[in-house]
Amino acid sequence: MTTLEQRRTIEELIYRSCLALDARDYKAFLGLCEDDFRYTISAYSPEIRRDMVWLDHDRKGMETLFTNLPRHNSDHSPITRHATVYTVEVDGNAANVVSALQVFRTALDGGATELFAVGRFHDAVRLNGAGVKLAHRTVRLDTRLLGYGYHVPF
Amino acid sequence: MAKSAAEWNTPPKFPVTHFVDSRVYTDPAIFEDEKEKLFRPSWIIACHESELAAPYDYRLFHHPSGVPLIAVRGDDDKVRAFYNICPHRGNTILYDPSGNAKRMTCIFHQWSFDARGNCVDISRAEQGYQQRFCKEDASLREVKCETGYGGFVWVNLADDSPSLAEFIGGALDILQPYMQQPMEVFHYHKAHVRTNYKLWHDTNSEFYHDFLHYFNRITGMMQPGYFDRRYTGFPNGHATVGSMQIQYDKYEGSKDRAVGWPGLATGGWYMVDLFPGMTYNLRTSVLRIDTAVPLGPNEVLIEFRGLGLKSDSEEERRQRVFDHNMIWGPFGRNLHEDLLGVHGQGRAMREGTGSRWVIQGREENATIHDECGMRHFYAEWSRRMGRAAYDPYGEGRPEPVRVAA
Repeated sequence: MTTLEQRRTIEELIYRSCLALDARDYKAFLGLCEDDFRYTISAYSPEIRRDMVWLDHDRKGMETLFTNLPRHNSDHSPITRHATVYTVEVDGNAANVVSALQVFRTALDGGATELFAVGRFHDAVRLNGAGVKLAHRTVRLDTRLLGYGYHVPF
Repeated sequence: MAKSAAEWNTPPKFPVTHFVDSRVYTDPAIFEDEKEKLFRPSWIIACHESELAAPYDYRLFHHPSGVPLIAVRGDDDKVRAFYNICPHRGNTILYDPSGNAKRMTCIFHQWSFDARGNCVDISRAEQGYQQRFCKEDASLREVKCETGYGGFVWVNLADDSPSLAEFIGGALDILQPYMQQPMEVFHYHKAHVRTNYKLWHDTNSEFYHDFLHYFNRITGMMQPGYFDRRYTGFPNGHATVGSMQIQYDKYEGSKDRAVGWPGLATGGWYMVDLFPGMTYNLRTSVLRIDTAVPLGPNEVLIEFRGLGLKSDSEEERRQRVFDHNMIWGPFGRNLHEDLLGVHGQGRAMREGTGSRWVIQGREENATIHDECGMRHFYAEWSRRMGRAAYDPYGEGRPEPVRVAA
């Protein structure tokens, strides 16, 4: 049984993870993650009728990715992640959380905002006393057409 | 000193083989001409055989000339291709991008077709058509289709075109030793970019943009021999780039590569650019295939496929997927940079921007930063189009002063 307090704490974790990534504050984002954190982006392709993994890193891999980001030529348009927590299922010290995700991209020149991608967060969360952390995030994308792409994970 | 309008509009001081009039990237009339003269009679990759593994498996393909196609494996295991257009009232027959259909039935009036293109049922045929029209009169339009060169399904809309082998010539010989085992597509995505399709193919045809990928490529450019790789041009506008071994272990985040490709040296890399808009790219542990589907003079849909071996173990496949995503995935460090590059060209080269010329003037003995790959493409483009890429409207540009390398 999930208590209201547990749900509130977990919802705040999900939303803080969005705020940290939106702000490109990768240190803050990793601060919300366990040491054995894993991050995956996946999608289903109806063209080849297969599940695809588009990104899969452990915590060290994410740290490397974040470190290398400024070394690449990238689109600098900011994106904002809008999450709505749908379900929270607590089982002892762990919880599975499903959230709707919409990602918007705002052009640097003129500031027009467009919907970039939709999908869901499937998060595995650990509850340790008063705190909660992300153990595994799978971003399951419905959107597969991402234009010229993006370097920063959703 | 910056240029005046007259100076900006004056052709670059290169041989005419070494620059292109940028209106070839923006003119809707030239684009329509390209669909007819370049894409319709060329062999184009529609899909891979692994996408049609079982009888009656089908795959839809939007042909670059604009024709919607169905590639379908028949009960006799042969892959055929047809217009995805019902011969009755011109409706779309199949909608899902892939599937399995023993009968392909148009939802409009339930005319039904088999995987050999025969019409097998016309609803209330006798009542409406009596003896005047029957199933035999209502077959699908079949287009030429061959499977080969790594198990890809190729289509050609021109009934009188040369064979696939004649079209490819020797361009894929360099990759044949590495395509002897059955392969499988594990990755597919598209990128929709507001740019001309040729600009994407150009990017795949020159390595001077190593500097766009500076952080990726510095490991390569620092290696002895990097600049010695050579371009080889083939008939019909195809070109290849020879291999080298990239020292990926020098790049943080790319270490511990456990899986390679049969016969390919560790870190090996071959590229083959096929006219008018396809690229084979075999690198380390993954074969990537690009297929450009132009939608307009300044709009292209690029299909990206990643392939491994059909015999892969779960761990081998996982490693290939990882290697692919690191460089070429939608969030990979290389692909976004390349797409940003051509997106920027698309912004700068739309009609009315004042863009005038694209210079392809580097000569380095046909090695990696020579721009002869692009020049080879535009020589074939000019031949097929019947108009010079440097002077597409016959306005009288300078005569060639020397022949391209």
